[in-house]
Amino acid sequence: MIELEKIFTNRKLLVKHVSEISPWLQDSNASSITGGISQAERQLQDIDPIEYCRTRNFLNGKVTKLSPYIRHGMLTLDRVRNEALSLCKDPQQIEKFIQELAWRDYWQRIYQRHPTHIWDDIESYKTGFQADEYEDELSADIATANTGVACIDQFIETLLRTGYMHNHTRMYVAAYIVHWRRIKWQAGAKWFLHHLIDGDPASNNFSWQWVASTFSNKPYIFNLDNVRKYAHAEINTNSSENAVLDASYEILTLNLFPNKGTEQ
Amino acid sequence: MTALVWLHEDALRHDHPVYTAAGEDVISCFFWDEDYLQKMDYGFKRLVFIYETLCELPVTIIHDSTVEGLIRLAENQSCETIYIPATPNPLLQEIIVELEHRLLVVIVEDTPFVSLTKDLDMKRFFRYWNKAKKLAMQPSDS
Repeated sequence: MIELEKIFTNRKLLVKHVSEISPWLQDSNASSITGGISQAERQLQDIDPIEYCRTRNFLNGKVTKLSPYIRHGMLTLDRVRNEALSLCKDPQQIEKFIQELAWRDYWQRIYQRHPTHIWDDIESYKTGFQADEYEDELSADIATANTGVACIDQFIETLLRTGYMHNHTRMYVAAYIVHWRRIKWQAGAKWFLHHLIDGDPASNNFSWQWVASTFSNKPYIFNLDNVRKYAHAEINTNSSENAVLDASYEILTLNLFPNKGTEQ
Repeated sequence: MTALVWLHEDALRHDHPVYTAAGEDVISCFFWDEDYLQKMDYGFKRLVFIYETLCELPVTIIHDSTVEGLIRLAENQSCETIYIPATPNPLLQEIIVELEHRLLVVIVEDTPFVSLTKDLDMKRFFRYWNKAKKLAMQPSDS
């Protein structure tokens, strides 16, 4: 039984130590997102729930980035909700903020009820395809951010470099993997859980199932116009480099789900 | 008598109700369990995040198998009871079941977001939200 070191003069030494005690991992690059209760407290003091409600879907919107700290129990949903309410005059102003906290509570409650079913389809796909028509494994081009779809590759590159993604880009990438590439949500969810610092089996897997349509009434898809609406200038939304996304929802639905109209 | 608190990755803070349950004389530990961490398949960035957090907490980080290490620690410190934050994680629950064969285990729930009945209809989020909204939209006493 070995007691591990807790005092380091700088972060570089701490990262080196973690690398030494995690010899099974090839990667040794830390994220700029730092752990620690003091950092969690700083992040909590920085929230702007009213601005969050107005801008949260934009990729440069005022999101809280509290998820890694909530995921690991450093901040409770109760505490974050109470803090947010103290910053507004009328709770209705921040209903969307509190509802997002509630989504996590909802996912956790389902997980607590059925902990060993976290990798099972809750319902059938509503895409016109059966589960066995989806690939089991993630393709190498996806895992390495080389899909050839410019914005998707940028979103994946952010995941690999930082261990974090904006929720909207998680939905874009998940939909691309499940619906454009027809890969099982489980493969993508497993990959996200490996890379995301805030990866939580409940929030992650159930969100993938929501996108896939195995825990929702219809599949979630998006198009390039939607990315353009919410992206910032650094995201490549050129038509020629995102061709598979550049169509109306009607055309995409016909192309991605050709059997949908014929299903029983 | 000294109580043992096992902090795991779902509850990395020093004001978790597990400490209130365990009392003042407490040994708090986290296990850097290679087998567990490899099964969870966490990337390096998450491991650094967790480790950084542990460095700020009043907890001993022990490099060992969780079950064997905890049992040994309990024996060495004459602790009969181990207090553990509640978790839905099946791998952690397997560890807890193993511990229950050897020690008295007390599972302590975290502060809830809203208090609702266990048999709530959870088929869709808005069924839950319709029941939770009133409580969720007001500050709690905690």
